[in-house]
Amino acid sequence: MKAGLPTSATITSVRKLTSDTTLFALRCDDPAAAGAPLPAVASFLPGQFLELSLPGIGEVPISYCGIPSSDGTIELCIRHVGHVTIPLQNAKPGDAVGLRGPFGLGFPLKSYENQDLLLIAGGLGMAPLRSLLLALLVERGQWGELTLLYGAREPGALLFLDELLYMSQSSDIRIYLAVDRRGSCLEGIPHCRAALLPALLDQVMLQPERTHAALCGPPIVYTPLVERLNQLGLADERIHLSLERRMKCGQGRCGHCAVGTYLCCTDGPVFNYAMLKGIEGALV
Amino acid sequence: MRYMEISKLQRLLDLLRQQGELHSPVLGDDGVTRFELLPPGKLPDLAAIRTQLPPKKYLLHPQETILTYQADAGYRVPLATVPAMILFGLHPCDLAGISYLDRIFLGDEPDQLYLSRRAALTLIGVSCTPDEFCSCRLYPSPLEAWYDLFFQQSVDGIAVSIGSPRGAELMKILDDVMEERELLLPEDTRCFFGRKIPLPPESELDQGLPEWQVLAGHCIGCGACSVCCPTCSCFDVLEFGGLDGSSAERLRRWDNCLFRSHAEVAGGMSFQKDRAQRFRYRYRHKYRGFGQVKGVPGCTGCGRCRAFCPAGLDLRALAGKLEGDAS
Repeated sequence: MKAGLPTSATITSVRKLTSDTTLFALRCDDPAAAGAPLPAVASFLPGQFLELSLPGIGEVPISYCGIPSSDGTIELCIRHVGHVTIPLQNAKPGDAVGLRGPFGLGFPLKSYENQDLLLIAGGLGMAPLRSLLLALLVERGQWGELTLLYGAREPGALLFLDELLYMSQSSDIRIYLAVDRRGSCLEGIPHCRAALLPALLDQVMLQPERTHAALCGPPIVYTPLVERLNQLGLADERIHLSLERRMKCGQGRCGHCAVGTYLCCTDGPVFNYAMLKGIEGALV
Repeated sequence: MRYMEISKLQRLLDLLRQQGELHSPVLGDDGVTRFELLPPGKLPDLAAIRTQLPPKKYLLHPQETILTYQADAGYRVPLATVPAMILFGLHPCDLAGISYLDRIFLGDEPDQLYLSRRAALTLIGVSCTPDEFCSCRLYPSPLEAWYDLFFQQSVDGIAVSIGSPRGAELMKILDDVMEERELLLPEDTRCFFGRKIPLPPESELDQGLPEWQVLAGHCIGCGACSVCCPTCSCFDVLEFGGLDGSSAERLRRWDNCLFRSHAEVAGGMSFQKDRAQRFRYRYRHKYRGFGQVKGVPGCTGCGRCRAFCPAGLDLRALAGKLEGDAS
């Protein structure tokens, strides 16, 4: 019942990341008393998603982009391409939306303990991986080597570039960036080269028996990335992919997010590749 | 065994009407048999082997409001009191279809609209004789054909089985038209349901099988098979703003995996691009399930998809080929 009913939330900040992508911060309107548990929708794991409603317009699944915060703030990185996200281009602090969630299983953090982690993001796939990245950095001592490979169309489309460059100054994480098209300002960006995302794997030395890879990107990058990771010795079970589908109900009923006999909303959206292998339409 | 002579059917229907809105298969003037309100004086079409739409329409309306929105109150579930309703004349395949929907919409977090309607529903099954489109006999189902009462038709009357406490209560009310008889009736089609059967191995859903292409080549993508299927329950979700600018309604509407839009994501990218893919997807889902019905074959053998396909397609033929069935 609760999972089916949007709770009202207010946009608290709006930050344009690129011409078509915005980072929103939101807070549930339910006044949570000090020390009270967070509203359900504000208590989530990296890789999970919520359903965002614009009254009178509709509802869409959106990945969490941040980590749970003590004041219940939820960060969502939204590209304005659909019937709900386009109207959100004009949203401003104070505007009301509906939220319900969290849905899905998220990344298997438990199995990541003491392992080297390789995060690979393509385009808007950086949004859910930012949630994972921030969660990993909070408990940095729990994991081995941390590496992020991130590719975008062009330098201007690299999301969270300032944050990532700041992180890359520490020894906590190694970050490698790639852009498909060089654009004008590539030279000003450290660790960035003009290449397709899978090519960044050539720069990485990984120990396959103690590494997990977490991938999120447009469907087209998954096949070459998985092939390359397999070549580097990474087992299918160690490759986790976050899939995009239009989860309409989030409760395993509407049928729109089926991948073989799995449902993205209840079995995913994060799957290990061994689960997806051989399923028609899973990756492309 | 409790038994009713067929001459008392009208009286039985009158007694049932006192317990709730009575719906049953009714032969329309257009020659189509459909589940609808049975007016007093009219007899149910118990000879019809299948209605055009299955009884799922009572539990999941083709289009219904699932949430209402008011600026000052937020989203609300529009729960209304559902009057008691009796569905009379359900064949075991349609009873099994309802038990399949129950698995999806009830459970840990029941769908409130479904639950309210399901709770108001009394199910009265009736035995049937399968025709050439039915496949319950060939492919028994693990789905339970649950009922409150079941009427087994014999030459001059009806033998009654009680399937639930609600059915037992109802029988007390129907006692006037019942008598006790010693009868030895043959098994009816109930025996094809609630059976433990193994799933076909994954290899049998091979993408390369030429039959897929042949069948998909004939499919016109109209989606009739899904509309008339007692277990197809995919729905689309739509939202409309009120003209007052401060209210909205969220609807769910029967959807169809044979439509290209079904697996689309924002920006128009689709994960089921061609018809053969969607065709396979439908078959796979129907025979293997997902989510709450993972591993549960969802075909009840009612034969509607075969009977109503405008292109004469028969997924069962494919099932036969895939499962090495010579017939």
